[in-house]
Amino acid sequence: MIRVEDIQKHFGALHVLRGITFDVKKGEAIVIIGPSGSGKSTLLRCVNLLVEPDAGKVFIDGVHVNRHGIRHEWVRQQVGMVFQSFNLFTHLSAIENVTLGLTRVKGMPHDQAVEKARKLLARVGLAAKESAYPAELSGGQQQRVAIARALAMDPKAMLFDEPTSALDPEYIREVLDVMTALAREGMTMIVVTHEMGFASNVASRILFMDAGKIIEEGTAEDIFQRPKEDRTRAFVSKILR
Amino acid sequence: MGKVRKFLRERWRYFDAALALLVIVGSLVYIYDLLVGSRGLDVAYVTRHYPLYLHAVFTNVYATTIAFIVGMAIGISVGWLRTAKTVPLAKFAASMRVEKRERQENPTGSEEGRRFLVVLSLLWYGTKYVVRRIGDGFVEIIRGTPLYVQILFASSFFIVFLPQYVGEGILIGIIALAINTGGYQAEIFRAGLQTVHSGQIEAARAIGFSRLKAMRYVILPQALRLIIPPLTNEYIGLFKASTFLFVLGVQTEISYIAQHEGFAGDVFEIFAIVTAIFLAITVTLSLIVQTLEKRFRIPGLGIEQIRRPRGVAVAPRAA
Repeated sequence: MIRVEDIQKHFGALHVLRGITFDVKKGEAIVIIGPSGSGKSTLLRCVNLLVEPDAGKVFIDGVHVNRHGIRHEWVRQQVGMVFQSFNLFTHLSAIENVTLGLTRVKGMPHDQAVEKARKLLARVGLAAKESAYPAELSGGQQQRVAIARALAMDPKAMLFDEPTSALDPEYIREVLDVMTALAREGMTMIVVTHEMGFASNVASRILFMDAGKIIEEGTAEDIFQRPKEDRTRAFVSKILR
Repeated sequence: MGKVRKFLRERWRYFDAALALLVIVGSLVYIYDLLVGSRGLDVAYVTRHYPLYLHAVFTNVYATTIAFIVGMAIGISVGWLRTAKTVPLAKFAASMRVEKRERQENPTGSEEGRRFLVVLSLLWYGTKYVVRRIGDGFVEIIRGTPLYVQILFASSFFIVFLPQYVGEGILIGIIALAINTGGYQAEIFRAGLQTVHSGQIEAARAIGFSRLKAMRYVILPQALRLIIPPLTNEYIGLFKASTFLFVLGVQTEISYIAQHEGFAGDVFEIFAIVTAIFLAITVTLSLIVQTLEKRFRIPGLGIEQIRRPRGVAVAPRAA
């Protein structure tokens, strides 16, 4: 479904990604963990080309997407993204946040878009909040609207960039529940998170990244119970404590 | 007593407004009394001459509004230009190297085609760089020199290069004002655009918006709300500055003041008329803008003006 081959990325003198290769099969949920600054977010952004890799190839559904002749806008419609800081459009109500992409990118008629958005908001448990503005919603509610907004484009896969890191503890569960349900329904997902419970329950594989490289890859059990590499062990012991 | 207090509490806003008005009017009356009190107001002069001033004000409003709208077009384009990132040459060279390596690994198309692309993108980045710098210079020159000088400069420019239009004082004035306000509005728009959080653009791009569409549907609606107050400020400033057009032979309030100065006795009457007219227009304008701001305010965002009597509990918003 998603294949990344030997991705390199520099920001100025900083070598952020040093040759990343991995594969995500259809319906698989991958969790990426690693210390801050290890390039996890940049890697996610390389997959939907919000950040253009300096070298390497990105395939989505078998199509090599980071080459001339492929519109980035098209690529981004194939892969939904959810951000750490939600990034809901502040001037639009919850339902308008969901319909904006439908009407303005996909050209869907307004009524149809509203209908679809209502269904999606119901799916993330926010049917009653459709006319609320982002600033009137809690963090957890905002993040769930953001998930609905991404799902509205009918993406083939979803990227989650630390979706619960900016949330107060009492709101984390509701967001993780939505994500778990999504994974169970067979959505292909790449999730950057430090929620170990979620990783153990949902992830088919966990990638541990450090300093722009994938250090270790395995099931939740492998990574958390029997890490092979020293760096993985050190990191895991820190976050499990 | 309790009733009075309750009444006061419910109507305090009106008392507040009335008190404010009283203080303003009172101090104006006091100043007026200080200046002409001993002599008395020449009412006949005021009634005879105020239409003249109304006409002058109409000219001002007309010139200001046209200049403001033209200036807005300049401001939006230059302001947006100034948010453009120029690509450092080193980065450009780096991306060229990547491009070359890709070509060597996977040679498709001709060498000429590749060169053509390189030249094309060099031209694109070069143009972007030059245009951006021109925008920077424009803003600095407009901001850095007095409006009065700019109007004189425009007038001289027409005298030397386009003498056939010299009679059209109002046209020259509008051009000068438009360019001037364009420079200031460019800064307002730039600030507005840059204040919108970068995450908003990223989110828009992530659901497949192009740069232009993200600008149209996500950035501009937010930026425009942010810049309503500074734009109003700019309009009022421009409106007052438009009185300078008298140097171009346009009849404005100042020209009447200048003409009538000889009639020493009526000076303060003239100022009274001019002040009243200007205040009437600017205050009305700011009231209109206030309602606009309220109308377009994003619920829950920013500092809400709390308009409720003290001591009245407000039910928390249902979660």
